[in-house]
Amino acid sequence: MWRRTHITTWFSLVLWSGFAGAGFAYDVIDVKNGATITGKVAFTGTLPHAPKRFEVRNGPEVCGPERVLNKLEARDGRIKGVVIALEGVEQGKPFVSHRDAATDRGRGAFHYAGGDELNLGVQLEKCSFGPFTGVIRADESVRFVNHDSIKHTLHTYSLKGRNAKIMRTLHTQSLRPQRQTEKDFPAKKLRRASAVVLTCDRHDFMENWLYRVRNPYYAISDESGTFEIGRIPPGDYKLVAWHPVLGIQERRVTVTPDRHLAIDFEFIK
Amino acid sequence: MNGVLSPVKPGIIFVLFLFCLTWANTQGVHAALLDGMLDDVEESLAEGLAKKREKLTTGNFYTDDKPNAHAPIGMMGNHTHEAGEVMFSYRLMHMFMEGNRYGTDRITTDEVTMMGRPVPGGYMVAPESMRMWMHMFGFMYGLNDTVTLTLMVPYLNNSMNHVTRMGGKFTTRSEGFGDIRFGSLWRLWAVEAPSIGAHRFHFNLSMSVPTGSIEPTDQTPMGNIRLPYPMHLGSGTVDFYPGVTYGGEMGHASWGIQAIGTLRAGQNSNDFSKGDAYTVNVHGAYELIKNTLSSSVRLSWNHWEPYDGMDPVIRTNNPMNQMRMVSTAFPDLLGGQRLDLLFGINVLFPEFMGLENRLAVEGGFPIYQYLDGQLETDSTVTFGWQAVY
Repeated sequence: MWRRTHITTWFSLVLWSGFAGAGFAYDVIDVKNGATITGKVAFTGTLPHAPKRFEVRNGPEVCGPERVLNKLEARDGRIKGVVIALEGVEQGKPFVSHRDAATDRGRGAFHYAGGDELNLGVQLEKCSFGPFTGVIRADESVRFVNHDSIKHTLHTYSLKGRNAKIMRTLHTQSLRPQRQTEKDFPAKKLRRASAVVLTCDRHDFMENWLYRVRNPYYAISDESGTFEIGRIPPGDYKLVAWHPVLGIQERRVTVTPDRHLAIDFEFIK
Repeated sequence: MNGVLSPVKPGIIFVLFLFCLTWANTQGVHAALLDGMLDDVEESLAEGLAKKREKLTTGNFYTDDKPNAHAPIGMMGNHTHEAGEVMFSYRLMHMFMEGNRYGTDRITTDEVTMMGRPVPGGYMVAPESMRMWMHMFGFMYGLNDTVTLTLMVPYLNNSMNHVTRMGGKFTTRSEGFGDIRFGSLWRLWAVEAPSIGAHRFHFNLSMSVPTGSIEPTDQTPMGNIRLPYPMHLGSGTVDFYPGVTYGGEMGHASWGIQAIGTLRAGQNSNDFSKGDAYTVNVHGAYELIKNTLSSSVRLSWNHWEPYDGMDPVIRTNNPMNQMRMVSTAFPDLLGGQRLDLLFGINVLFPEFMGLENRLAVEGGFPIYQYLDGQLETDSTVTFGWQAVY
């Protein structure tokens, strides 16, 4: 009796954990007569975050003696690094391969291999994970490659709780020099999480934010604040503009075949 | 009391270990074991912090580049490591014991031999002092985001001075590897925010295997004989060390509490087992020089039960006159309690060749001792080096 009860308990635990890991499905199909959304992200007001300077204590020979964390890049009223995501698309084009590199002293980059999945790879170089913002998808492994000759301590968080007031640790992983490490981001660990934060515990200036996307219909605004999302299948969706410092804005959009939509966002502080 | 639960204890520990391991595997745990189970507490804390424009961070066990990020060097298993992180450590520990104590009273060697304290009739030989040196080689490895594995290999060198009833003196020595101890630290829960500091809890679970000798011999006035229990290098049993550790940090200050038990599994091959033991450590530390030097103070409460059973080869009585030989040969006198006050210093060196190096020293003395009739402790000193890669 005792044995049967315990076997049942363990079996239930395993079974439950399997179901808990189920994520959101996205199917790749051939999109014909897809629509396009383009737009600009503007900013009005006083920048809420000034660039912060850090004296480098661990590995200054690699990182440099001083580094700057700039969380908000705005020029001429246009914002770079705002993630624009179309939510509610359950089937459509494949994930596109592209690479976003840091533009500061660091040379880190986010490499999205694309295909049926996002296939994010973080190329860590010169004490940088990559640009300040990027995207991530649940239930995928992320490859972290440390190209530096010093160790980094990856610390990832998800934002949870009402109004994202809680930063929950997902991983703490020592990244050895010249080595690759894969970390999983299961959906059950990202429940209610809209974004993932990457930090290095050994270097306070290394901080990056990844917005959680469920499909390949996203873009990140460039230096001129512009973005473009193409090959969108017809339907009613929610268009989201997100930045870790400025917050989130949402628009309802109706996409019809071969149509071009121009949608701008403006953040006011 | 000791030994009453002996058949049950290993089973409980094993089931607990299996539970944690299974849980970690099935849940794909990526941080602390209690993640997601204390949501209400976290939400409540976060609500309060939001008024101060602060976010609550959970599951962060990373200890910053602070000398006091590690507890005083005399404590073990006080911090966990990040996945993939490795730490090597070496500790040199010294304990000096001089004079006998019965209850809270100091007793002279004359009282032990002639007047017969603690046992009426006295002993032919009384221990005068004992010196214990221990070299402890340690290894820690962050297996994943939840579990840190530990390994400790001790090498001991003991010497004990004796005086006979007739005033003659002699010294016995034992030396060799002690019981090798391996185990794991399980991250339970951690919360932190600028205004409340960091609060981290982990669960300690380790076990030792009987690699240390329980049959050391040396020359005595009675010939080359098996030495009494305090000179043994190990317990002879598989021992379990379950415990809970809490650590806090805020600004330049850090503090912690650790409760660890030592539970013996059955009796050894020589028909006895050392008594179960319990230790509670409370410490506080302060960073005196940023990223370089910190000082600490610690209170350590130790309680250990008398031995259970006895080694039939260790002589308790002189076969010629049936007089008691030496108090250290009587297992029922080996229980006691002690409260130590210790002071320490931790030094953190700038990273070199990818290694984070720490040196630390801690020393102290008992402020309270209650012994069943043994040598009393005068001082303990621990020197240590830790290298994290």
